[in-house]
Amino acid sequence: MTNRDEIVVNTRGMSMSYGSKLVLDGIDLQIRRGEVVALLGANGAGKTTTIEILEGLRSPTGGTVEVLGVDPLHASVDHRARVGVVLQSWRDHARWRVREFLHHFFLLHAPFRAEGGWGVDELLERVGLTDKAHARIASLSGGQRRRLDVAVGLIGNPELLFLDEPTVGFDPHARREFHELMHELVDARATTILLTTHDLAEAERLADRILILHRGRIAADGSADALAREVAGTTEVRWRVGDERFVHATEAATPFVRELLNREPDVDDLEIRRTTLEDTYLTMVAQHAAATAEEDGR
Amino acid sequence: MTRIPASAIRAGALRGAIEMRNSLQKPADLAYYVIGAVSFSLALWFFRDQLVPELGISTASIIFPGVMALMTLFVATYGLATLVSTEREDGTLLRLSILPAGTFTYAWGQTVRTLLELAFTFGIFTILASILVPDLWIRGAAGALLALGFLLLGILACLPLGFVVGAIFSNPRSVGGWGFLVVGAIVYASGIVVPLSELPMWVQVIGQVLPLYWLGLGLRSALLPEGFATIEIAESWRTLESVGMLGLWAIVGAVLAPLLLQRVARKESFATLATRREKAMQRV
Repeated sequence: MTNRDEIVVNTRGMSMSYGSKLVLDGIDLQIRRGEVVALLGANGAGKTTTIEILEGLRSPTGGTVEVLGVDPLHASVDHRARVGVVLQSWRDHARWRVREFLHHFFLLHAPFRAEGGWGVDELLERVGLTDKAHARIASLSGGQRRRLDVAVGLIGNPELLFLDEPTVGFDPHARREFHELMHELVDARATTILLTTHDLAEAERLADRILILHRGRIAADGSADALAREVAGTTEVRWRVGDERFVHATEAATPFVRELLNREPDVDDLEIRRTTLEDTYLTMVAQHAAATAEEDGR
Repeated sequence: MTRIPASAIRAGALRGAIEMRNSLQKPADLAYYVIGAVSFSLALWFFRDQLVPELGISTASIIFPGVMALMTLFVATYGLATLVSTEREDGTLLRLSILPAGTFTYAWGQTVRTLLELAFTFGIFTILASILVPDLWIRGAAGALLALGFLLLGILACLPLGFVVGAIFSNPRSVGGWGFLVVGAIVYASGIVVPLSELPMWVQVIGQVLPLYWLGLGLRSALLPEGFATIEIAESWRTLESVGMLGLWAIVGAVLAPLLLQRVARKESFATLATRREKAMQRV
């Protein structure tokens, strides 16, 4: 079951349009077991639509989709139970108490749960809501409510977990605990995770692989390092000689600076800045936008 | 139809019980129960000494079966429909429908909650009426049992209808607002306020299509003296017709309700939920 070469999510030419508006345009995506993939992209890039199709909530207008070997739209109950979904809650079940709410979903999953999952109380502890077990959901803060949503997504001990912007509204402490929880899931259970996020640092910290969606297409696909390397010159060196300012982009900053200092004794205000994922993201989206514009112009 | 695991039946029953407990702990709901019980008591007390000419029975005895029929429609159809459309809007149905046997659990939970609310309401109203109405049980235990049978049949007719209405209309505020007016019109057209035989012919026709008239008639036939049938249409209790019409509504509802509910549950998505959330936020 922990065969890490097994492909658990597989889409070919997945497309989606609402009326004349094309939201997804031929997405080919393979995710292996135990992989953590972050889906990045601006609002409207198609992130949520991608997740909804993979969850079987929407039918794509083109292409094929397989999740755990079956079409999610026609997945059986047993199949559905193997997938964890974290819903962005709003005000449902407001008068329920935290523990009885989680227990309700525990009961629903009971006949389908794989061995060794966390129990209700254990899970409450993992998401840091033990002291809120008997509080009404309406009394929780936004971040606490989000953590409860994550717990609901995990209650069935899923093999595959979809998270749509999981850490919105988390304080830094809760965010860190959430990241630890995700690492634990991946290390101990080989849970496959697909998450969307606006937070680039989070994507870098959690994901093995980052996918950048831009206008319904995959603009980039790779690890944070690989993506940074793809953007020419991963490190930026800036300095000043007298009144003149210089900028140089390089992949090997240390030899360059050593040579620069040997050559130029008057170097001042030396600054070395590694390209952040944010720079990479912006560059990649810009490159992709330019490429699509060219294609459209033809 | 996929198989329903025993755990979903348990989860749904628990869900209904939790929802009912939550309602009893909510000040607004408690106020509704108290106001309902007080106005019912006042009505009974006011008509207590007023006798129906010819029959020599207190008017309050006629109010009781009428109110029980009305409450069945009000709780099992109107109340349930309002809740279902509200919980479609707030994401309750979506959250459950993505889970194994989730839509079933939702429907079963709402059924249990509605049954508990009906039992609670009927219990209180029956105790109050037993105290306030002198001749309430003149038909004895047999009459009481027949009344209980009609109530159960009436619930079977009205409850699926609540799911149907809640599944068809997506805006909880229109279900709550317009629905209330529709319930009022149905109550009038069903001979609950004024005997149907005294209303215009076209109202009689409408009334006899709807389930509420037949439930009211059935309850009156169980609780009022035999001679009272003379003021009904055809001067008869028409027991067979009552059972037949209520049964027909129950069957139609039982076929339509699961189909419609599954259809709307499937159509729910994060995007529709997000759109509705934004709309609702703007309203606040």
